[in-house]
Amino acid sequence: MSSDAILRLRRLVKKFGAFTALHGIDLDIAEGEFLTIVGPSGSGKSTLIRLLVGMEEVTEGTIELRGRRIEQTPANERPTCMVFQSLALFPHMTVGQNIEFPLKIRGVSPADRRRRAMELLDMLRLPQDYYGKGVAQCSGGERQRVALARALAFDPEILFFDEPLSALDYRLRKTLEKELKDLHARTGKTFVYITHSLEEAMVMSDRIAIMRDGRFEQIAIADEIYSRPVSRFVAEFMGEVNLFDVTGAENGGLISADGALYVNGNASGMGVQLAAGEAATLMVRPEFMRFLPPGETADFVASGIFHGEYELGSRIQYEVNTASGYTLTIEKLREDRFSGTPGEKVTLGFDAEAAHLIREARDGAR
Amino acid sequence: MGPSRSTRIVLLIYGLVVIAFLYLPLVSVGFASVSRARYLTFPIRAYSTKWYGKALESGSVQDLIATSLKVALIVTAVSMVVGFFGALAFARYRWRYRTLFQKLILLPIFFPQMVLGLSLLIWFNALGIIPTWKTAVVAHLVWIAPIATLIIAIRAYSFDPALEEAARDMGASTATILREITLPLLMPGIVSAGLFAFLLSWGNFPLSLFTTGADSTLPEWLYAKMVSGYSPLVPTLGVLSVAGSFLLIMLAFAIAWMIRSIRTSRELQN
Repeated sequence: MSSDAILRLRRLVKKFGAFTALHGIDLDIAEGEFLTIVGPSGSGKSTLIRLLVGMEEVTEGTIELRGRRIEQTPANERPTCMVFQSLALFPHMTVGQNIEFPLKIRGVSPADRRRRAMELLDMLRLPQDYYGKGVAQCSGGERQRVALARALAFDPEILFFDEPLSALDYRLRKTLEKELKDLHARTGKTFVYITHSLEEAMVMSDRIAIMRDGRFEQIAIADEIYSRPVSRFVAEFMGEVNLFDVTGAENGGLISADGALYVNGNASGMGVQLAAGEAATLMVRPEFMRFLPPGETADFVASGIFHGEYELGSRIQYEVNTASGYTLTIEKLREDRFSGTPGEKVTLGFDAEAAHLIREARDGAR
Repeated sequence: MGPSRSTRIVLLIYGLVVIAFLYLPLVSVGFASVSRARYLTFPIRAYSTKWYGKALESGSVQDLIATSLKVALIVTAVSMVVGFFGALAFARYRWRYRTLFQKLILLPIFFPQMVLGLSLLIWFNALGIIPTWKTAVVAHLVWIAPIATLIIAIRAYSFDPALEEAARDMGASTATILREITLPLLMPGIVSAGLFAFLLSWGNFPLSLFTTGADSTLPEWLYAKMVSGYSPLVPTLGVLSVAGSFLLIMLAFAIAWMIRSIRTSRELQN
């Protein structure tokens, strides 16, 4: 994805006084892609999107839209549009006037504006009589759709979203996530979405970019990021995870750095080999961890004291504390419910195919 | 749980006393204005509206009202414009000397008006400007424009900056944003600032006293007449002045109501 990139960022730096918010961002966004940028608050994702739409000035680096440099172009001359977190619907205008606003700016005739607004109301599944309704009379979900309709009326080359669903309740958010994905498919436009919610990112996006301290940690499809994170940060950001400190053994296998894990055989199913003495992190998701009945074994085995269980709805989560200080998390579907009593000694295991080895400078100076 | 019966009675009496203190003097001026007698006496023996007729016929009264109106209207218009941009600088934009500006703009309000009027008069003299109603306009503005700015600034604070950003993002120029977004959203603040500006200028005495020179506004004339020789025109013009303010407020309410009903009927049509 280099020649068909609609937006290309190179060495993008943003500084606020002495504080550097973005450290040389490189990114190619493909035509028609749904890219979600995820990160904790303060990671620089909002700053990045504000640079891209032109609301903040770039300190260094370039932004190219279809090969044309736009980093110096003011926001009102860029063919991009953003849906704000607050939605920024104009409170003194009706739904119709809001949707028509970008067309009015462009000098489109009132009749054409109205026709387009009606089309967009249909597209966003809003009744046509909402045209004359005040924005304040719309519900949260309706306002969301009006904001989307207004952004689509602008007909941007790229549509940006700044956490527009974060203020809504769970049920509505789930519905709108799917509608947004559907809208992306129907319009074929390039969507760039930022959120701190991983779930939102997983449901909607083609690719996810994980951001941390003004840098991209990993950019990949959802499954890749979930199963094969490049760092402990990504692994932990993508939900519950068990991480073990390991080092490479002389025979090409692994040894537990702190004795928390018994390694059976050489764990060759991992696909990667550590050099002897090289430190790494062994990751396993809670759903791949299982309780071992007496007499059964696995590639990796740990033992500990059963702590308790938590209902997650479709799944149940268990916690086990090991002697070396780890709190391990195990998840089972309801039908595979494990019945243990707190304080009981249990043995846990997982296989090499389900595990993933993270090779990074551990606890390193970033 | 509501207040007890005895609390309610105490509150009622308190309320009535406050209202009596506030409005009884005004009512007595009203009575005085319809007395037939040349001198201020109570109780009034005979009633007449002849002083109203005299007041409205008199050329000097017409001049007084014209001067006061002229000053108040110019002060209102300038305060609204200055207040609008001042409020944007006060509340919306971050710039280097903003906090200094926010403090400086409050100073004239806390300055005693007598001192402000005197210092302005000295200043006009030093510059060789002969005081007329025009210098009074300047004096009123020094005091009223900051008040108008504050009133509009309160409105500007409750304004989501994302609205302007969104408009710019959709291609609007700075002038378009001002016309289509900022101005309409601040309009309620601008209108109330205008009302305040008019009322404060129309009723202002201390600043006018020092800075009108040979011209005279209504409050100045009322004071001069009370000092130099009472005329039944004093309460009459007093009542007319209050009526003027009252009519203006009513007019403002009527316009606001009309705009609202037009808006709702337009929504019903669609």
